Order: sequence, then C-alpha cells, then structure tokens
Amino acid sequence: MNNYFIGILILLLSGFAAGLFNRKFKTIVMSVLAAAGSIFCLIPAIDVLSGSRALSRTFEYNQVFGQVTFSIDHLSAFFILVITIMSMLSVIYANGYLKNYLESKNINSHLVFFPMLIASMLLVVTCQNSLLFLVFWEIMSISSFFLVIFDSSKKEVLQAGVKYLIFMHISVIFIIIAFALMSIKSGSFDFASFNSVMQNNTSFANIVFILAFIGFGTKAGFVPFHNWLPEAHPAAPSHVSAVMSGVMIKMGIYGIIRMIILTGTPSKMIAFGVLLAAVISSLYGVLYAISQHDLKKLLAYHSIENIGIIGIGLGAGMLGQAYSNPLASLLGYSGAILHVLNHSIFKELLFLAAGNIYLKTRTKDIEVLGGLIKVMPATAVLFLIGSAAICAFPPLNGFISELLIYLGLFRTLEINHLPVMLVVFFAISGLALVGTMAILCFSKVFGVVFLGMPRSEKSANVTSDCGLSMTIPMGILAVLALLIGVYPQFVFFDIKHIVYCVFPMDLVNLMQVSMVPLNIMQIVACFAILFIAFVTVIVLLKYYLTKGKKVMHITWGCGYNRVNTRMQYTASSYAGPFLSMLKPLFKKIFDIEKPKNLFPSSAHFHLEIEDIEEAYIINPLLKLDEKFLTKFESLQSGNIQSYLKYGLVFLLAVIIVSLLIG
Amino acid sequence: MIIKLLVNLIILLFVPFIMTGLINKTKAFWAGRKGASVFQPLYDFVKLVKKDFVVSKTTSAVFNIAPVFAVASVLFAGLFVPLATGNAVIITPGDVVIFAYTLGLGKFMMLISAMDTGSSFEGMGASREACFSAIVEPAFFMLIASVMVLTGIPTFYSLYGVVSSSGIYGILVAVFAVIILFIMLLTEGARVPVDDPDTHLELTMIHEVMLLDNSGLDLALFSWANSIKVLLISSLIACLIIPFNIPVVLHILCYLLVAGFIAVAVGTVESGMARIRMPHVFEFIFIMSSLALVVISLVMAKVFGG
Repeated sequence: MNNYFIGILILLLSGFAAGLFNRKFKTIVMSVLAAAGSIFCLIPAIDVLSGSRALSRTFEYNQVFGQVTFSIDHLSAFFILVITIMSMLSVIYANGYLKNYLESKNINSHLVFFPMLIASMLLVVTCQNSLLFLVFWEIMSISSFFLVIFDSSKKEVLQAGVKYLIFMHISVIFIIIAFALMSIKSGSFDFASFNSVMQNNTSFANIVFILAFIGFGTKAGFVPFHNWLPEAHPAAPSHVSAVMSGVMIKMGIYGIIRMIILTGTPSKMIAFGVLLAAVISSLYGVLYAISQHDLKKLLAYHSIENIGIIGIGLGAGMLGQAYSNPLASLLGYSGAILHVLNHSIFKELLFLAAGNIYLKTRTKDIEVLGGLIKVMPATAVLFLIGSAAICAFPPLNGFISELLIYLGLFRTLEINHLPVMLVVFFAISGLALVGTMAILCFSKVFGVVFLGMPRSEKSANVTSDCGLSMTIPMGILAVLALLIGVYPQFVFFDIKHIVYCVFPMDLVNLMQVSMVPLNIMQIVACFAILFIAFVTVIVLLKYYLTKGKKVMHITWGCGYNRVNTRMQYTASSYAGPFLSMLKPLFKKIFDIEKPKNLFPSSAHFHLEIEDIEEAYIINPLLKLDEKFLTKFESLQSGNIQSYLKYGLVFLLAVIIVSLLIG
Repeated sequence: MIIKLLVNLIILLFVPFIMTGLINKTKAFWAGRKGASVFQPLYDFVKLVKKDFVVSKTTSAVFNIAPVFAVASVLFAGLFVPLATGNAVIITPGDVVIFAYTLGLGKFMMLISAMDTGSSFEGMGASREACFSAIVEPAFFMLIASVMVLTGIPTFYSLYGVVSSSGIYGILVAVFAVIILFIMLLTEGARVPVDDPDTHLELTMIHEVMLLDNSGLDLALFSWANSIKVLLISSLIACLIIPFNIPVVLHILCYLLVAGFIAVAVGTVESGMARIRMPHVFEFIFIMSSLALVVISLVMAKVFGG
C-alpha cells in the first residue's frame, strides 16, 4: 500500500516538477515521472490480482470526514491496472504529440493537470469514504476540463469544455444525493456501512441506485446523458481524449459496479432498466457514429456504443443474479469487466491513431482524407487492428468480451419468465445489429481515411509517418489486443476473481460454474491460433506463387480513363443508404450550393447530422431556461452595494426559515 | 472420425462449385437453353487460378490479403456448422457468435478491399453490401436464440431438434426458419431478388461490383468464398429438415439432396422474378426480421402457453 501512496505523490508532483525545466525537457520530465508514478501504483494492484488478500489502510482524517479508508480489492486492483497501463502509454505518446505544441500558452497547466487526472482516477477507485470520494471525483472532472480546453483559442473548444463542465456538475448532484441518502440512514460516510442500509430496504435501495445510475451513467455516457461526450472528445488533444474515452468514462462504470456491490442482490426492475438503457445506448451510439465525418467525434460515439455493450453485460449479470442463475451472472459480469479493459485498449489505440492523422494532416474531417496507408503505413496497420478489435472480430480482444456477453444473454434465456425473455431477445438482436453496424462504420472509416487516393491537398501533402515515440505505445496496445484475443483462458481465469468480488458465491461453486466458460475460452484460443497460422501461411504462399504474375494498371473506370480523386466514394455516400433507411432518427442539416449557369464556377455539398436529443430536447430546454433567466437580468446591476444587499437578504431569509422550522 | 472429417471437408470445398453450376443449369432450363455443364464453375476456378492478374496501382497490401481472409473466414466459420455427415468439427455453446463474427471478418476485409481501389463503383458496392448485411444479422441471431430456447440445446445442433421436439409449434418454427435462412442465403449469396449476379450494368450490382478490379486468383478466391458461404447457410437449412438419428451415409445423401434442392430453388427464383429496385431491397430483407419475430412469439407460446 505504501507503494501506492508514493505513486500518487509522484503523479501529483510530476507536473509541477516539469514546470522547473525549460521547454525542451518539460514534457519528457512529466512523462518519465508520471510513468514512474503509475508503475508504483501498479505494484500493489498486481499483488492483489495475483492472489494476495485485499490491501487497505485507514486514516483518522478529521472531524468532518471521520475515518478514511483506502482499500484495494480485486475490483479496485483491476481498475488500477487499466488506469495505470493506459495512462502510462498515453503519457509516453503525449511526449511526441506535444512537441508540436510547446509554444502554446496552456502547456504548463496541461502538464500539471494530466498527471493530476491520472492520480485522481486512481484515488477514486480506492477511496472508501463517500465524502472524500466526491472530492476526488470533482478533482477528476475539473482537471479533465482543463485538459479539454487545451486549445482554448478556438471558440468551439471552449464551448465543448464548458458543456462538459456543466454536464459533470449536473451529474455529480445525483451522486451527492444518492450518497447523502445512504449516509443519513447509516450515520457514516463509509461505503462499508452503506452496505447494510442498502441490503435491508429494497425500495430505498432502488431509489438510491437509480440516482447513482444517472450520476455515474452521465460520466460513462449512457444515453440520454451522453451529450457531452461527442463534443468534449474531439476538442481535447488526442492523448487526452484517449485517456478520457479509454479510462475516465470507465469511472462511471466503476461507480455503477460499486453500487451493484452495495445493493447486494439487485432488484428485478433495476436489472431490466440497466439492460434496456444499455441496449439503447449501444444502438444510439453506433447509429450516430455511422453518420459522423469528424474522426474523433465518430470515435466518441463509438465510446457510447461500447459503454452500452459493457452495460448489456452488467444487465445480463444483474438479471442472472436477480433470478438466481449464477452462470448467467458470471458470464455477464465477466464479459462486462473484460470489455472495460478491452475497450480501453482498442479505443486508446484508435484515438492515438486519430492523433497521428491530425498531426500530419491538420484535419479531423475524414471527407478530405484518403490514401494515407501509403505514407503512414504503421499508423494504418495499427488503426486496422484497432478497428478489427472494436468490430469484435476473432482473434482479437473485443471478440472475447462480446462472446462472454452473448453467452451470458443466452443463459439468461433459461429464466422462465416472459418479460425477461422479451428483454433478452431485444438485447441479443440489438447486440447483433450493433456488431454489423460497427462493421459498416469502420469499413467506412478505414476505407475513406487510409485507402484509395488522397481526396484533397491536406492528405496529399503528407510525406512521412509519426515518430517511434508515438507509434511504439500504439504498437504495445495492438499487441495487448492480440494477446487477449489469443490467450483468453488466462485472462478469464483472473477476471473470475474480480467477478467474485461483485457477485460473491462460495468458491467451490465458482470453480464449478466457471468450467463452462473456461472450456469455451480454450476452444476460442485454439481457434484463434489456428486461424492466424492459416491466414499467414496462405498469404505467404500466395505471395510466392504469384510473384511475377501481377500486372499493374489503373483502376477500372468502366472504360473512362480520366478518373480523378474527387470521384471516389466519400464517407457520406458510403453511409448514405443506411442512413436513408433510418431517416426519422436523424436531423440533417444541409449546406448545398447547386451548380448554376452553363459553366458552373462553384458548387458544394455538405451534410451535417445533429444529435436528435440535442436538437429536440436539450436545445429547447436551454432556450426555455434562457427565457426564464433573462427575467432576472435587472438584478445584475454591476453595483457592489446592491450585491451586498442581496447577500444580506438571503442570509436573513435563511435564518428566519431555519428558526421557523427549527 | 477422420473419415467423416475428410468427407465433410471435400464436400465443403467442392460442392459449392456444383451448387453454382446447378443454379446456372436451372436458369438455363427455365430459359429453354441447354446450359453449361454443372462443373463449369469448377473449370472457371481452375482457369482463373492459372491466369496472371491485373492489379490497380491505387491499391495497397489490403487488396492483396483480403481474398485470403475471405476464404479463411468461411472455412473457419464452417468448423462450427454441422456439415454433410451431421457433425460439426467444433461443438461449443456460443458457436453462433463465433460463426457470425468470423464471417463478419471476411466481409469487413472484402469491403475495405473494394474501397482500396478508389473506384466509385466499388465504393458503391461496398456501401450497399455493408448496409444490407447489417440488417440480416439481428434476424439470424433472433432465430438461433429462439430455437435454442425451444430445444434447450445451446449450439447449432438445436436446429436438429426443432421438428422432433415440440409438435405443431416445432413444425411451424421450422417452416419459418427455413424461409428466414433462405432469404439470408439470397442476401449473403448475392442472388436475385437482392442482387443480380448476371447483370452487365455496374450501377445495379452489389456483390459483383465490389470485385470489379479483382482478377485471376483473387477473383477465384472471392467467388469461391461466396459459394462456400451459400453452402454453409444451406447446411443450416439442412439441419432443420434432416432427422438427427439416421445413418451417416443416408445423412450425406439427404444433405446433398437438400443442397441440390436449394440450388434449384435459387435458380427458379432467379428465373421467375427480377431484381427488386434498390430502395425496396430493405423491405425484402426486413421480411426476415418480421418472420424472426413470429418465430419468437411461437416459441413464447410453446414455452409459456403449454
């Protein structure tokens, strides 16, 4: 546990230490120190995961907070593992990325807040005191806010940042209310004491769970609380969006899992609710991802989709628990927990690749890209691996967790209860639809960005790939993705203990129940290795046998030989048929200038798709809010005396009210 | 065991050619022609493999490896399906997921290889293919999941139990399941009325237009992979029709008969109707989803209604 606190301290100080050095070394100092801090924190987590008992340490903090306990159980250790590995890699990557931004005025604060974000996430997953948990939660939100507005000279970046901040603060209100309700009942701020309160009173537990789910779900990006996500991620620098999407939104998932642990056996209604919300989130996320042309926005919508998939796993697990089907629970929970790790691996990989593309082309609009595989081969291959993983193709990691979740859903079908069956059928078909839509989306992205010919100057002018300091962390992520896909049985073996933490059953039973998935994992492992071997052998064979039989020629244009690059299929046209099928779900904003006269000089077409929730719910609400608030405009006189007067009136009112009640 | 495996493998590798040949023969019959031999697709394959091939300068390595992935994905997906002898090589719960996602990998590689040429026609084909296959999958999963509930077997073998296990419900489910799988076969196999393999106009194609730039070995591999996929889906249909506990030789015969019958059916459909207009293809494929819902309600009726 000492190592852990040393690590946190190093992380908190690393940014300030970096400030002491001159421009050249700043980022390197921060990277080295932050990576070292992460390693220190990783040591106890690996201890716990490799089988030792849960670690914990209690401090007598002060009168207000009472006893403060930091503990690392299997669940915390797993999240520490995810946070530290992903942060370490993105910190190394940041080194290369920030080279281009050393002149920026925000660089110093960026270097302070980045390790602070990592440290606050590490504290959130170990803190067992609800009040201090909220403090760390706030530090996490605020430090990430400053990271988002790194490029604060741009108006849209600032707007996205403020929107993020507002969403986070609305969400934290729900968490505060949930925690307050529990601590009033139990008379303590400690999570351990919440346990008994929650388990004895079902309706109370339900209300608290719903509140906490809204709070944590906003952080995680469940629909309909997802709106901040597709704006904050594109605004932030790539390594920050990688950490935010790969790790930070998982803190919401962590919170939800903690709530499941606190409630003991979740009630049936809650399980239904979580499953439905998750299916809707994943469908909504992938649908909007297909419609986007902004690479990072598209990836952000995919985060919503994947959070939904994690939620489906949790929902299957909760259904299994509520209807006492232990195998379904084990499969659902382990799928969800493994998907947390898997999603952070491939999403970070994809965001970092997007960062490479942005650095080289200075654009995030995929419509103007093309043909990058020829000049950026490393980035292209890594992006391809990332997209195959996110589409859940064997033999990569995404497949393993989705397989576990499917198996969990199939098992919940054994529950002989009509509503369960209907919901689960919905979930299964939803998950299948999400999978195929992800194929559509990533074939679009990869095809348009990396293949074909450059669609504009921006991509035609790229001459080289990014440096090794940026591609090596990505390479490590790709290898991790492949390893989990090829050796799922070992991963599952560890995940089992984490699930045990969420869903305690006696160990003999756990061993018995986990035999089924373990067998399947072994089969999948053999399958994966055979598949890789087969493909490699055939590709090599094909290469040697067809040497010299190839004739190079231009692409077949149906006899038309003056094909130019603008004639290629674009992202909008690729997604067109699918989007037109689901017309009512989108709000389209066209920007068209039609060709005029006999010799048209200029014409353009641009299609932007707006989130329906934003267009029809959030924006009208904001308008209403603005209308209401402008009525109070006259109060804001700019006169300090009158402000003091308001303060006095308010204080008097409070005193009178409390006397009256009192 | 090994003999069974070999028989399955040989049938999996060669029957697809004959099925394609049979479809063409059927079409020739309805058109009043004599038609080419049923082995013609096999001759074509051999000829294509021997040929040199033209590759577009725009393409990258993706274009080169995609055909291999296409073949590998159908062969490996085939490991999980009960084939000619009624045995699957690998039997495990969740086989439907591995099957579908492995096929998905092959499809993904094919889509991006089409995008690799930078041709607008191929991009169009890829876009349509991705779009249509996206709506096939949910219905397929619903079907298999409901069959699993009906029979209580968590693998593809549940298809065998449908008719025998649950009386009138079983027979009804089997009928709808055959229709669903047949539509899936038409969609995934790129046949009329979803797609027309014989059209000469690039604008109206789906699958063929994605392969415009493939020639020689690449083209051979892609079309072979596609016909193997058709055989795999026919195998699933065969599971529904053939009784489970019959001697192996009889099973193989029945299997070949079913495959032949399906080929004739595809050929007949192709001769009898034209390709649906592109905007209406969705409606045709959505028949699958609606029938899958019917299957689910039948299963519910059986499980909860008695």
